[in-house]
Amino acid sequence: MKIRIKLLAHYQQYLPPDCSSSSYETEVPPDARVEDVLAGLPVPLEESVVLVNGRTPQPGQVLREGDVLCLFPAIGGG
Amino acid sequence: MYGWNGRILRVNLTTGETSVEEVDPRMARDFIGGRGWAIRYLYDEMDPQVDPLSPENKLVFATGPLTATPVPTGNRYMVVTKSPLTGALSCSNSGGFFPTEMKRTGFDLFIFEGRAERPVYLWVNDDRVEIRPADHVWGRTVFETEDMLRAETDPRARVACIGPAGERLAPIAAILNEKHRAAARSGVGAVMGSKNLKAVVVRGTRRVPLAHPKELKALADQVVEEVKQAVAAGKATLRTYGTAYVPPVTNEVGILPTYNFRTGVFAGAEAISGRTLNQKYLIRPKACYGCPIACGRVTRVEDPVFGGEGEGPEYETIGSLGSACGVDNLAAITKANYICNELGLDTISAGVTIACAMEMYELGLIPESDIGRPLRFGDGEAVVEMVRLAGLREGFGDLIAQGSYRLASHYGHPEYSMSAKKQEFPAYDPRGAKGMGLLYATSNIGASHMAGDTAYMEVFGVPKKVDPLSWEDKPRLVKYFEDIFTIIDAAGLCVFLSIRYLFEPTYNVEPVRISRLMEYATGAGYDEETLLKAGERVYNLERMFLVRAGFSRADDTLPPRMLHEPMPEGPAKGHVVELDRMLPEYYRLRGWDENGVPTPEKRAELGLP
Repeated sequence: MKIRIKLLAHYQQYLPPDCSSSSYETEVPPDARVEDVLAGLPVPLEESVVLVNGRTPQPGQVLREGDVLCLFPAIGGG
Repeated sequence: MYGWNGRILRVNLTTGETSVEEVDPRMARDFIGGRGWAIRYLYDEMDPQVDPLSPENKLVFATGPLTATPVPTGNRYMVVTKSPLTGALSCSNSGGFFPTEMKRTGFDLFIFEGRAERPVYLWVNDDRVEIRPADHVWGRTVFETEDMLRAETDPRARVACIGPAGERLAPIAAILNEKHRAAARSGVGAVMGSKNLKAVVVRGTRRVPLAHPKELKALADQVVEEVKQAVAAGKATLRTYGTAYVPPVTNEVGILPTYNFRTGVFAGAEAISGRTLNQKYLIRPKACYGCPIACGRVTRVEDPVFGGEGEGPEYETIGSLGSACGVDNLAAITKANYICNELGLDTISAGVTIACAMEMYELGLIPESDIGRPLRFGDGEAVVEMVRLAGLREGFGDLIAQGSYRLASHYGHPEYSMSAKKQEFPAYDPRGAKGMGLLYATSNIGASHMAGDTAYMEVFGVPKKVDPLSWEDKPRLVKYFEDIFTIIDAAGLCVFLSIRYLFEPTYNVEPVRISRLMEYATGAGYDEETLLKAGERVYNLERMFLVRAGFSRADDTLPPRMLHEPMPEGPAKGHVVELDRMLPEYYRLRGWDENGVPTPEKRAELGLP
């Protein structure tokens, strides 16, 4: 199934080279868990905020077709 | 004394007399400095019911014990007074270089009283204090005033001044230093204007005495090294994008204010982001004194309509002059920011007031003949024209300059004002970050992110992530963040560095390093417990000022939209702020009665009158 990976702030350096927006589509196995997909990303997870469709995922949450998995660094400020 | 200079400068503008006073060491320790000392003086000396624009109001410029020390970001000062926007307290905060220079004159605080007969400015050059005529700069912009006063005093001097908005007593007028840094909120610029005080100019050469300089330097160096390592590892988000990196983040969680807070989802979020700013307008990052972060933006816009050069915009400016007004044109937002700085306006209140006027215009509640033009959401040119008119208080700008609550009330519909205690919301829709809702409602200065920004944990995961949509855990979080932000303000530090590096990265956010730095600077006996208690003490005394000014539980509230209109879309869809459920628990944790008044037991515990 297809989901979107969205990377914000300086995580945009981890976007694929041909990606012109903040997100890209990717294929994951059906019933993939959030943790499974995160493990394959080159992002320092311990310093990251992870969201699925804008909300904090539950531990072990299973992804669904069309979900947006968003990561950005824990920074703060505004 | 160490850390503190231990001296305040009192300036009576009515008589033209100035005097120097020593500070009681016990008061110094118990109230930390900065914002804490300021409320101690205001509470003791002033009737909180005075008219904010009368000579009876006092205006305090306050540095903290860590201002102008080697502690990174020790570059802040606070402007504390009774606010003409809210009728409550103003605690507006700015960095740059003015605060450090002020502390180095050898004074911690300047207290202004009365009203000068003619326009004046204060010139403090170490111990030499002069009240000088300012007729020649009255009516001038912030930029012109800064250049003229440095030229006639000392080219190394630093200037904090008001523009036309402050002179014309706009309740959303700011005080600017180094032209582009603002103690922006709650109308502090109007209080300066009401006193005929155009500017404060400082030149200081004294070193701040430190109790344990070697230990302080070692810990400060360690923190700077950690920031540098993060930068070297490619983690420099604030240096790379400034706070403008935030719009896509708050949009992702559905709380980016859009169309006067009708929704928290904005289609143009990427167009007004730090990435766009870097591609189009950024010249270079800029740091305040002693800051390894450098979140400031020096920018230039080349555009036939919106061209200009200056600093900004910050996230809060983008959220208010941009998405709240439905504007996705970053050139227009940046131009409006420049004009706010030049004329001396708070960008947040200006933007959210214009957004309010746009909504009311589109609903037919404000006739076009009053405005003199159409005022639709998304019209960047209209935003630029409205801030110009507001800064000069001309035409419809006279109503904008009074803030959204007065504007909306003028047309019989205060419910369209997105404000708390009449101060406009910063750029987080609290329906999707419940702690921010409780914070806006209860804050002693009206709606503000600087009063205890729980979005750090709710949105940004700093130092740990909590669920923004839950309300059960928020009363404790809001109380705690209000107290630790009070400590950061009173110490004279910037929140950006402090939260990430001077507190423990746990759910309890213990003030470990900041209490050590406070002790190394002052030697006054601070540890984590006494520092937290001092923060709570200051917060409670501020609350008592509000109580004496006539505020009560009825004022700890939010606009009906936040309480009754569910968020229409996005991740926070269906949510409102459960204020009625959070408020009683918050009061209980604070040790306040059901009307929001500190109980005699709590006052006794904190040693307050």
